[in-house]
Amino acid sequence: MRGGTPLATQTWRKSVSLADRLLDLFITVILAAVAIVTIYPFLNVLALSLNDSTDSVRGGITIIPREFTLENYKLIFSFGGLVTGFKISVLRTVVGTLLGLISSSMLAYALARPDFQGRRFVSVYLAITMYVSAGLIPVYLLIKDLHLMGTFAVYILPGLVSAFNVFVIRSFIDGLPYALQESAKIDGANDFTIYWRIVLPMTTPALATIALFIAVGQWNSWFDTYLYNATSPHLTTLQYELTKVLQSTTAGNGGDYRTTNMTQVLSTVSPESVKMAITMVVTVPILLVYPFLQRYFVKGMTLGAVKG
Amino acid sequence: MAVKKKWPAVLLTAALSVGLLAGCGESGGGNAGPSGSGSAEAGSGASDDLKPITFTFYSEDPNPNWTNMQDEIGKVITEETGVTLNAEFAVGDPVQKSALIASSGKYPDIISAKNSINKFVDAGAVIDLTELIDQHAPNIKKLFGDQMNRLRYSNDDPSIYVIPTYDGVGNTIFEAGGGFSLQHRVVKELGYPKIRTVQDFENAIKQYLAKHPTDENGNKNIGVSLNADDWHMYISVTNPAFFATGAPDDGEYYIDMNTYEATYHYLRPEEKEYFRWLNHMNAEGLLDPDSFVQKYDQYKAKIASGRVLGLIDQLWDYADGEKALKAEGKFEYTYGHYPVTLNENYKDTSFWPTGFLAGYGIAISKTNPDPVRTIKFLDYLASDEGQVLLNWGIKDKHYTVDANGKRSMIKEVNDRRVNDATNFQKETGIGNYNTIGPHYGDGVKDPSGNYYTLRFPEQLVEGYSDVEKEVLKAYGATTWKDLFPKESEFEVKPWGAAWNIPVPSDNELTVLDEKLKTITWKMIPKAVLAKPEEFDRVWDDYLQQLEKAGVHKAEELRTQLVKDRVKLWSE
Amino acid sequence: MKAMSSAAVPSGGMPPEGRAPKFWKTAYRNRYLYLMTLPFVAWVFVFSYYPLWGWLMAFQSFKPGKPLFEQKWVGFDQFKTLFQDDLFYQVLRNTLAMSVMGLTAAFTVPIVFALLLNEVRNMFFKRFVQTVSYLPHFVSWAVAASIVTRMLAADNGVVNDILTGLGLIDKPIQFMANGHFFWGIVTLSDVWKETGWNAIIYLAAMTGISGELYEAAKVDGASRLRQIWHITLPGIRSTIIVLMILSIGHLVSIGFEKQFLLGNNLVLDYSQVLDLYSLQYGLQMNRYSFGVAVNIFNSVVSLILLFVANGLFKRMTKESIM
Repeated sequence: MRGGTPLATQTWRKSVSLADRLLDLFITVILAAVAIVTIYPFLNVLALSLNDSTDSVRGGITIIPREFTLENYKLIFSFGGLVTGFKISVLRTVVGTLLGLISSSMLAYALARPDFQGRRFVSVYLAITMYVSAGLIPVYLLIKDLHLMGTFAVYILPGLVSAFNVFVIRSFIDGLPYALQESAKIDGANDFTIYWRIVLPMTTPALATIALFIAVGQWNSWFDTYLYNATSPHLTTLQYELTKVLQSTTAGNGGDYRTTNMTQVLSTVSPESVKMAITMVVTVPILLVYPFLQRYFVKGMTLGAVKG
Repeated sequence: MAVKKKWPAVLLTAALSVGLLAGCGESGGGNAGPSGSGSAEAGSGASDDLKPITFTFYSEDPNPNWTNMQDEIGKVITEETGVTLNAEFAVGDPVQKSALIASSGKYPDIISAKNSINKFVDAGAVIDLTELIDQHAPNIKKLFGDQMNRLRYSNDDPSIYVIPTYDGVGNTIFEAGGGFSLQHRVVKELGYPKIRTVQDFENAIKQYLAKHPTDENGNKNIGVSLNADDWHMYISVTNPAFFATGAPDDGEYYIDMNTYEATYHYLRPEEKEYFRWLNHMNAEGLLDPDSFVQKYDQYKAKIASGRVLGLIDQLWDYADGEKALKAEGKFEYTYGHYPVTLNENYKDTSFWPTGFLAGYGIAISKTNPDPVRTIKFLDYLASDEGQVLLNWGIKDKHYTVDANGKRSMIKEVNDRRVNDATNFQKETGIGNYNTIGPHYGDGVKDPSGNYYTLRFPEQLVEGYSDVEKEVLKAYGATTWKDLFPKESEFEVKPWGAAWNIPVPSDNELTVLDEKLKTITWKMIPKAVLAKPEEFDRVWDDYLQQLEKAGVHKAEELRTQLVKDRVKLWSE
Repeated sequence: MKAMSSAAVPSGGMPPEGRAPKFWKTAYRNRYLYLMTLPFVAWVFVFSYYPLWGWLMAFQSFKPGKPLFEQKWVGFDQFKTLFQDDLFYQVLRNTLAMSVMGLTAAFTVPIVFALLLNEVRNMFFKRFVQTVSYLPHFVSWAVAASIVTRMLAADNGVVNDILTGLGLIDKPIQFMANGHFFWGIVTLSDVWKETGWNAIIYLAAMTGISGELYEAAKVDGASRLRQIWHITLPGIRSTIIVLMILSIGHLVSIGFEKQFLLGNNLVLDYSQVLDLYSLQYGLQMNRYSFGVAVNIFNSVVSLILLFVANGLFKRMTKESIM
């Protein structure tokens, strides 16, 4: 629409823009409120983690520490195993995310192809796994029989294929113009090449999202360490070590309060403060990673590809 | 094109292979040590075994201060016995892990499963220790003395699977951390009135509240606040019901001394009156309305604010709150412990003696490569030398012995033990090994006339604040325990304690207990918070629900267990 | 002719379909696709399907230690116990109530939030709000529950203070003590905690919408609201549908952590859910077989819900996941 614009359109555009501006205002206010409400718990945790634990027991701390201290963090870092835990956690996050992305995207691509013969079967096959679980004992025995106990691989292999991830990526691929794949086929590309060179680059927002999910899952997991690698300190993970630290300050464990080792009570730092510090230690790395992923949530990667 | 298409596949395969190879390369951590001799023959003491050996150890208790025996006393232990432990402690809920280990067939060498021991026994995973103890463990025999028959598993299976490591033999409790707690400032201002019955307790609070309804900031003072967050319910709401009505702590059941019949303790009419009193407190506005809603940290915060005049809880359960008060120097706001009961007819039963409780402890698994070595290791820990090492540390490093033979901790060391507990435990190891072997309890003296453990009466008094000493003096006591009925006033229970009797895994009792607990935890708060004229109706409803859920069946089953136990322990 | 309706292909055309009977010919044509999927299919078999032999335990009175085939068989007894237990029906009711409420909330609030966020021009504000919004996701439920309980407390709780200050009530309301509020509290807490995180998927989906469509609409004079309604929403429709189908399958297994932490003894009747029941009466009491029976019940119901949801959506919207 170049050239002069008729008056009617101009007036209409002005009223449109007034509506738009009101909308903008409305949105800004709501989002600001959301931001406040959601940042509060985090700041609260941060403040409590930096506050003297005996003072924290008194309550009333909101977002500023009343009696600043680094004791809570010192306690956490005084436990050996954190460094190894950190290394292993990083390693499993990276490896797990990469392999998980590859497996999910490959499956998603194949399942998105309308001409794939096995499409229906595999979809159903995968979907079922999301709702069906065998229970702890058979899985534990399986891991044992596969000699995966006390290995690094146990962090990666069992969870390699996630049906949820596959379906999410697939729904993205479905939104892409199939014509692109068609023309590549005409050019003689095989299915794999199409996947690798055409489809994959176009699904970066989906991949970034799934990468985030996998990474957070890997980073936070400790139960598998507990079940399979508890006697292999060189394979410990950060969350597992931190959970152990939390134990050191808790007196009494549920209904067994009569026999809990009372020497635990000697700790000088209360459990709540330690919990806060642990939350921070675990969360901060993830927060540092996310902004890098935000880049991939960019509009219009598909623009221009169809033209010409 | 051919090359290009292969490359990603190769990358993928490589990544997967690396993962798998890394996996295959590791040996499972569950197998026992290298130089262990094959099957140990009982009685073959030929080779002097100080050869280094490593045993795997699994415990259902957490212990993040474990240093793989690299702490000071750990090294001494390894020197003296040649044994190193590769230990795994529980993180989170240990019951699941124990179930998995029991079903996997791959057992650690030494197992410290508390209540889960029946899983291991059922699976045939642990061995009978009777012979081993008899032949190779003189110190353990001496330690348990005539209590040995309390180690037996059951009437049907009198093997000894477990060497108790939680309860100490001859243990005496020196301090009263229970009873009803009242802030020092309350009794001081009222001139140290007698605090013997719930009425006394109530009056003291009422009077004080009338004079001081708010604190200096205008926040309301609270008469009594209860700790009812999940399992704390037992400690602060339901257990006091029997402590205050002349029944000892037998868990959720009251056991008759003569007939050994079990009654679900809430069915006792005395306890109905106790809860009626709580209801009355609520009606008078003396009970914190948030008692049943607040979480544990909110409860502690309230205590730390100094606004709560009275508590019905155990010291260790609210210690964090009191610590905060002490840190601020507000000693008047800390609590004294009084043996309050429903009326003068009842005695507080906190100290009703149970005898040695046996109970949870150490088992040796059937895949242990050298049970004899293991028993000897445990025997060393139980010896006089071992006991002093575990509790006091190393001579001249942690403690000294003066000219008269009296043992005392070096002051700096002791200060560190109290003020920098975590690091102290990690460095010295004192406190790390207490539940790895059987031990003597507090108050028992060794052949040199010194106490085995670090908890003895003289220490207690040193820890009291001035205000506390003042209050105690006014009541004619030196420790809080002095105010309470002594052990000697009660008959020792032949069954020990009912809560300590293991329930076999397929017994219906477990399900019944859980159902009854749910009903109780729902209805007791309801009864307490109801309007006084409604109390009876709610209570009747409660009893009806219990009947419907099968409370009498549960009582029967429980009675049988108690009777079996008496039989087992009296032979 | 063939069932091609699964998973929409909104733009572009359909490829020519091979004739049905020539199975092997098509298989050969699809060989790369098979190569790309079969290894994972095998993988999934090993880790997800094979262990299902464990379901046999539900028909036994399982005791750990003895191999599977030496256990005592009890037929359907475990299931009978389950279905005769009054508590089971109560926890089922609680579970479904909270799931449905949660589902409704999860498919409105995060979408609206994502839509609003998408409209923001100022990149800094947009990024800031988005980052901040998912922070509560990382705070554990233990901490979150503690915050919620404190805010709703009758003694110095923020909410009561505000309500009293505004004169709307004269006595503080014991929110946490009232069972009827419990489901609402759980749902709202979940919204607060998870909206930002749940919105990430929708935001990512929105970036996939072609910018041309917005240009064209602007040219036609559509207002922003119009654009949102006619372009953005339909653009993420597939994603919403996929997520919805998957979530419906999860209706009976929602975990128990938040209900447990937010609950207390006064609201037990409303707070106990199926997963907690399974843990308490199953594993924690050494009744493994019972636990497995509950597990099977869960799985069967979930699958039924999944297929029904999938079928419904296929019929109504021509989009589904299978």
